[in-house]
Amino acid sequence: MTRTKKTTKSDLKKIDAIIGNYRGQRWGLIPLLHDVQMAVGYIPPQAIPSIAIGLGLFPSQVQGVISFYTQFYTEPRGKNIVRVCRGTACHVRGGKTILKLVKQELGLEEGETSPDMEYTLETVACIGVCALAPNIVINQDTHGNLNPKKVARLFEGKKKK
Amino acid sequence: METVTITLDGVEVSGYSGMTILDLARESGVDIPTLCHDRYLAPTGACRLCIVEDESSEALLASCVAPIRPGMVINTQSPRVMERRRLLVQLMLASHPDSCLVCDKGNQCQLRKLGAEMGIGLVELQKIPRLAAIQEVNPFIERDLSRCILCAKCIRADQELVVEGAIDYVGRGFATKPATLNDMPLENSECTFCGTCVAHCPTGALMEKEKSYRGTATKTVDTVCPFCGCGCILHLEVKDNQIVRVKPGESPVNHGTLCVRGCYGYDFIQSPERLTSPLIKVDGEFQKAPWEEAISRVAAEFKRLKQEHGADSLAVLGSSKCTNEENYLLQRLARVALGTNNIDNGSRLYSATSRVGLGQSIGFPGTTNSFEELEKSEVIMVIGANPVVSAPAVGYGIKRAAKYNGAKLLLVDVRPTKLNPFAHIWLKPKVGTDVVLLNGLARVIIEERLFDEEFVTRETDNFDELSDSLKPYTLERVEKVTGIPRQDVQRAARTFAQAEWASIVYGNGITQYVNGVDSVMALANLAMLTGNIERRGGGIFALQRENNAQGACDMGSLPDFLPGYQSLDDARARSDFERRWGSSLPGNAGLSALEMIEQAEAGKLKGMFIVGENPASSFPRPSLVRKALASLEFLVVADMFLTETARLADVVLPSASFAEKEGTVTNFEGRTQSVRKAIEPIGECLPDWKIILQLSKEMEQPMPYSSPQEVRNEIEELLPFYQRPASADLEKEDLDWAELESDSVRTRRLYKGPFPSGFGRLSPAEYTPPADISGDGYPLTLLSGSILPHFGSGTRSLRASRLKEFSPHSWVEVSQDDAKHLGLGDGDPVKVVSPVGESTTTVRVTGSLPSGLLFMPISFPDSPVNELFDIKLDPRSKAPFLKSCTVRVERIKP
Repeated sequence: MTRTKKTTKSDLKKIDAIIGNYRGQRWGLIPLLHDVQMAVGYIPPQAIPSIAIGLGLFPSQVQGVISFYTQFYTEPRGKNIVRVCRGTACHVRGGKTILKLVKQELGLEEGETSPDMEYTLETVACIGVCALAPNIVINQDTHGNLNPKKVARLFEGKKKK
Repeated sequence: METVTITLDGVEVSGYSGMTILDLARESGVDIPTLCHDRYLAPTGACRLCIVEDESSEALLASCVAPIRPGMVINTQSPRVMERRRLLVQLMLASHPDSCLVCDKGNQCQLRKLGAEMGIGLVELQKIPRLAAIQEVNPFIERDLSRCILCAKCIRADQELVVEGAIDYVGRGFATKPATLNDMPLENSECTFCGTCVAHCPTGALMEKEKSYRGTATKTVDTVCPFCGCGCILHLEVKDNQIVRVKPGESPVNHGTLCVRGCYGYDFIQSPERLTSPLIKVDGEFQKAPWEEAISRVAAEFKRLKQEHGADSLAVLGSSKCTNEENYLLQRLARVALGTNNIDNGSRLYSATSRVGLGQSIGFPGTTNSFEELEKSEVIMVIGANPVVSAPAVGYGIKRAAKYNGAKLLLVDVRPTKLNPFAHIWLKPKVGTDVVLLNGLARVIIEERLFDEEFVTRETDNFDELSDSLKPYTLERVEKVTGIPRQDVQRAARTFAQAEWASIVYGNGITQYVNGVDSVMALANLAMLTGNIERRGGGIFALQRENNAQGACDMGSLPDFLPGYQSLDDARARSDFERRWGSSLPGNAGLSALEMIEQAEAGKLKGMFIVGENPASSFPRPSLVRKALASLEFLVVADMFLTETARLADVVLPSASFAEKEGTVTNFEGRTQSVRKAIEPIGECLPDWKIILQLSKEMEQPMPYSSPQEVRNEIEELLPFYQRPASADLEKEDLDWAELESDSVRTRRLYKGPFPSGFGRLSPAEYTPPADISGDGYPLTLLSGSILPHFGSGTRSLRASRLKEFSPHSWVEVSQDDAKHLGLGDGDPVKVVSPVGESTTTVRVTGSLPSGLLFMPISFPDSPVNELFDIKLDPRSKAPFLKSCTVRVERIKP
């Protein structure tokens, strides 16, 4: 089992190639960051200076943009992203308990990633399917009308592992 | 431009299209409060305090970003506006700590001022405290972000003015804060501690780190920074005869910025080491003496030596740190009272090469255009200079030009510097081969017919001779000698030649090399070939190390020139001065600074008067210099401190610091600016001009001046470049003479008129391979240079407490390869040995140096890098070579 993922040389090579596509183009920062995240899974902080030089920006500016958008991550994330909804409807229908259960199932706090890099737990303000509240989203799939049993079933696979 | 008329508070006013409401209001004398606005920064509309109401559309507009439009009816104080502004200030105060009582920003806090003006006492809103202070160990800046109002002035000052990019916002919403990369303390970031952010911060979020309460200044004085040749204006805050704070003053040179030296290096003035009374050496020990005794002793000894050994047994070394008036008096003292042309100043070490090289080619000893024009250049070539360190304001300007004006930066430097990220092309010639590169560039420009033919035919001569001399500098040879790929040489030549306005900035990396004079001429050739001497933009910018290097030379503190570079051989010029001073002047050229030392050693020079210079540390082979000076029969030193030189003196006269006197200094671009008195001299110190006047009087050659102003009147009357134009407003003190008249004899801006001598002379520049590449036993090449926290030989900067605390010791930078090879690690004590001397220091391993190169800072007398350089003089400039030598490094066993 792999431990916490470190940025590898091949990751940095991939990033260098991506920077090459945008060299000197200051407008390209956000698409570049997306590309990096697609390729490596997150934006390694040690890549910030070379991104900045490539685009003619200051490293602090690049960091500012990354930290502004919640969609950019500076830490490695799990293979599976679990997002628990904390919107009003979910809250009213027991979202808080669902979050507590998910935390127990995964052994993670909000924003944490499991050491085996399988799961990352996040919360979101609302995912827009309030009719099915309480909801969680695992990767691209939405799971609605949750109750403790359903939550347990969702993570059965994990326990077996 | 189109005129736009709007109604502003019931009055019709007109401005130009593109102007903001705030600009027009301020121009019309209408006050609108702001927190995030600054004249030097691009407006962002962050604080919203400048809101005004447009009655035609009922909109509330942030006036700092809203342009004026015809027909607007603006009310700056409508009830709605006032209510909103009040709420905004209340919201800011709600997240601001109640620490006004203990906050050192005191009455200078703009938030507090606005709160008070609006009568906001207690804030009824719920307090939401912001983040707390950040622990930092640097001695300059303290950040308490709980007081931050997110105006972004610090970020914009950092990015737009200083162009360092050390900070930017991180996070968003409530968590937003200005932070460094990875939120490190400033000392672990790119921050250079220039203090610009502190000066711009409207609240106490960014403060000078100074624990003792100093209170509010009772007086402020604008004067010129005493350090480098940029000539930034310092805004001194004075209380109880002490300077308590320094901020950037209003000036087109520094543009709202300073550097760490200018901002935090002033407290040498109050150093306990300041001399406070004259000292006379009795039996090898200094004893305090009254001024009368000291001066009469000096006069008596000089008179005796003159009588016994002739006037030329005496010499005077003036200072590129003293004012124009003082240098003018000093050369008059030497030429009239002592009767010798043995007068020189400390800038011999770095600016003589420019004077000779530029004098010969463009007939004009210095920078040919103004700093503002440099920033407008399309191409800037920086060669043999690291302005980010040696002339920070120029460094900022170059970075601004490259980043925001689209200027292409051609960087020629073997060592990577902070300019690198801005470089369009970076050429790395082998050490000492600049002249080959420059000739190679010129050859490409001629061969590809990229030169300005009309200009070259009309304004210059010697073209054929130059192109003949360039024949050997083929791309192959240039590549072989300099190590720069030929495509890069071609690309650089084309880029430079094809620009409408191109500038060349050079510094000691050119002037202190063996081929210095030739390199300077080669630079001038490039500028002339491309017609960049007489254009409005572009030109040659010769950086000066010290704040009055240009002025000291202009004033004739030179052995071969009368004031204003009027030749000693010019009988008419000489007789003009003889008539004026009522005394005959010696006609033979005198000794230059290093020749004085040689003659002292040879026993031919008997007495010296050294003012504000420290040759026993700043000259090559300080140990030999000390021996030579010690062998003088009589040495007088006027200085603020008991420097290495002053310790050798028979009489030491305590000089006043820059803040204790009046006068003018001339910066690297020829701008003459006023030094103003802020505090009374410490102890019995006297300004140098008073010392010189007293001495002259005691030598029975009284000079008819009673103030620097009277000296200045004479200077303005007699010197080209300093003549006060008739049209000038005489009340205004800081005239930029150059801008006022188009006569190039009077100004230094060559773009406005023909060359002083009628023609620019294209001068063949020859390359002489460095002789001392002995290799044997000295496999490494050492470069010496300035560092940001210190200055010159460190006389003042090492006595500035914060600079000293931040950078207390010398070091030698070793590349990773060499360190591995030599088995050296960070902090290892080593001995650096050259063929002539040695110096001990500690190792700093760096990834930025190419292997085989070492770098050592010059400012630490305890590890004298000058000990490694031979006293060998360039025959033309009489200057030593202080930039590089071959060395080996030996580990010192603990």
